[in-house]
Amino acid sequence: MSVLEAKDLTKIYRRGREEIYALNHVDFSVDPGEFVSIIGPSGSGKTALLNILGCLDTPTSGSLLLNGTETSGKKESDLVKLRRDNIGFVFQQFYLMPTLTARENIELPLLFSKKDTNKGRIDEVLEMVGLADRGDHLPGQLSGGEMQRVAIGRALINDPKIILADEPTGNLDSATSKMIFELFTKLNRKGLTLIIVTHNLDLARQTQKMYTLRDGQIVSCEDLACVQGRDDLNIQQEVV
Amino acid sequence: MNFLTLAAKNLLRRRGRTMLTVMGVAIAISVLFSLLALNSGYEKELNKEVNSLGAHILAVPKGCPYEAASLVIHGGVIPKYLSEADLHNISKIDGIDLATPMLMHQFIRQDAKTGKDVPHIVYGIKIDEMRALKPWWKVQGRYFTDKETNVMLVGRGLADKENLTVGMMLPAGPFKNFTIIGILDRIGDQDDDFHFVPLAEVQRIFDKQGMITTVAIKVKDINRISEISDELEKIPDIQVVTMTQIMGTIMNLAGSARSLLLTVIAIALIISAFGIINTLLMSVNERTREFGMMKAIGASGLDIGRMVLAETVFITVIGGVVGTTAAIVGSTMIEGFVKGMLPYSPRGSLISLSPELVLFALVFSVVLGLICGIYPAFKSSRLTPMEAIRGGIE
Repeated sequence: MSVLEAKDLTKIYRRGREEIYALNHVDFSVDPGEFVSIIGPSGSGKTALLNILGCLDTPTSGSLLLNGTETSGKKESDLVKLRRDNIGFVFQQFYLMPTLTARENIELPLLFSKKDTNKGRIDEVLEMVGLADRGDHLPGQLSGGEMQRVAIGRALINDPKIILADEPTGNLDSATSKMIFELFTKLNRKGLTLIIVTHNLDLARQTQKMYTLRDGQIVSCEDLACVQGRDDLNIQQEVV
Repeated sequence: MNFLTLAAKNLLRRRGRTMLTVMGVAIAISVLFSLLALNSGYEKELNKEVNSLGAHILAVPKGCPYEAASLVIHGGVIPKYLSEADLHNISKIDGIDLATPMLMHQFIRQDAKTGKDVPHIVYGIKIDEMRALKPWWKVQGRYFTDKETNVMLVGRGLADKENLTVGMMLPAGPFKNFTIIGILDRIGDQDDDFHFVPLAEVQRIFDKQGMITTVAIKVKDINRISEISDELEKIPDIQVVTMTQIMGTIMNLAGSARSLLLTVIAIALIISAFGIINTLLMSVNERTREFGMMKAIGASGLDIGRMVLAETVFITVIGGVVGTTAAIVGSTMIEGFVKGMLPYSPRGSLISLSPELVLFALVFSVVLGLICGIYPAFKSSRLTPMEAIRGGIE
């Protein structure tokens, strides 16, 4: 069973009388343990798709099954629970709380899920993201790469089934981006499902499946374990 | 970590703004606390002052009876006089336990220390009757008799202020060469600052033979005060004021001044409340993306609202504590300011501090926080994750 399955997703934004199709009849599915990337030019609908997959936004039409549960038509309070139990988010701008230490930032989702703060679990996550010795530092005392690691730790703390990352390396230099991607690969090897939106084609090629979006539609889906025809690659290079 | 520590840390991010908001609340709470402390203190002191006269009814010359009554209590010069015939007529009325004449006069005497002319109040009294009226009087030295000459008693406050001791003779003024034969123990009311001299002596010194300023009357049965007052009113030339009337009139006069103060405080509180709401809305607007992130990592609208509300209550509680402390510390200054605004202020401390009042001020600050926090908390909790992530709040 797919951990995420979107069927015929359409998202229309209205600006006055104009209708903008952010997503146009998109079908998308991710199996457990897959590492998927979504690429495409700006305005192609990547973030709109990620937000709908993460239940942060609702589609205009179509359906989305998250871990077998239909999400369309659900109330925000139910979606909060679904997000809390299944999804971890990583953002381009990290969105760390500047007055909280790395450890406290990682702990934050536990406050909202009303789970007991387990010091051992936080240490484990800090270790997992390579910040075992930086837990008591404030975000201002950390580098960009370290801040993104804290954000990844925060996404991991609730033990999610899927990690959704929106341009996670967008604010980082290439060496740091590579390190973050290595971390994602490591997490994926441990069985975590990851969906990453990125502009970085080199990094996207390190994932197992690469979707290319253009004008709200998936124009290609490349299984990188078994590269398909040259046409798909040409399209990707052209759009990216 | 819990919601309170999270709220406190959030407030520390904008220290300057948080401090200014706290100051606004502190000032409002401080003024509110002072007024409430003053309200209970004023009534208490006024009661004490009026009761310290020991009389139930005052008979004063015709004119403005309340002004005359307040002058009798506080000390001053009434330019009209009653006669001994009036006293005689008063004493004849049935139900009166005691009617004692008093001649009150003001005089100027040079202060021994500073050399400045200082106004003083002297009461000409009949000592036995006065002691019956004020059984709480105690004296260091001895009391005079009504027939003695060149003797006086002084209040403890006055004695301390001017270093007067038993056996001393006044060096200057109309009572030059009068001997202080007794100093009244401290009572805590206006008597502490007065001179007391046999009635005949005051009449002699100021050339007011047979004249009296007021007659203080004690009745046998307090339930008959109104009936006796009616009888007294029948005597020509005199006007009657009961202590209840004096209390009522002064409280009314003070009431309008207090209403004015209350209005000022209400306005200060409203301005302060809008200040808090404005600060919180600004803070909420600046943090919409952060709220979006929180929603993405599992926060519900209720969680966000609760956090914003906790921040507000933090601000107002800290403001409440600072304001109450400032009001307690600065109560003397506030009292001086308010005393100047009131039409009649008792001599003692007007500010009455109590644990209940402190508790009230703190509870009020929490309630203020809850009221001010509701709208920003509601607004932030209603944000959808996408609105928040896009920063789409107005």
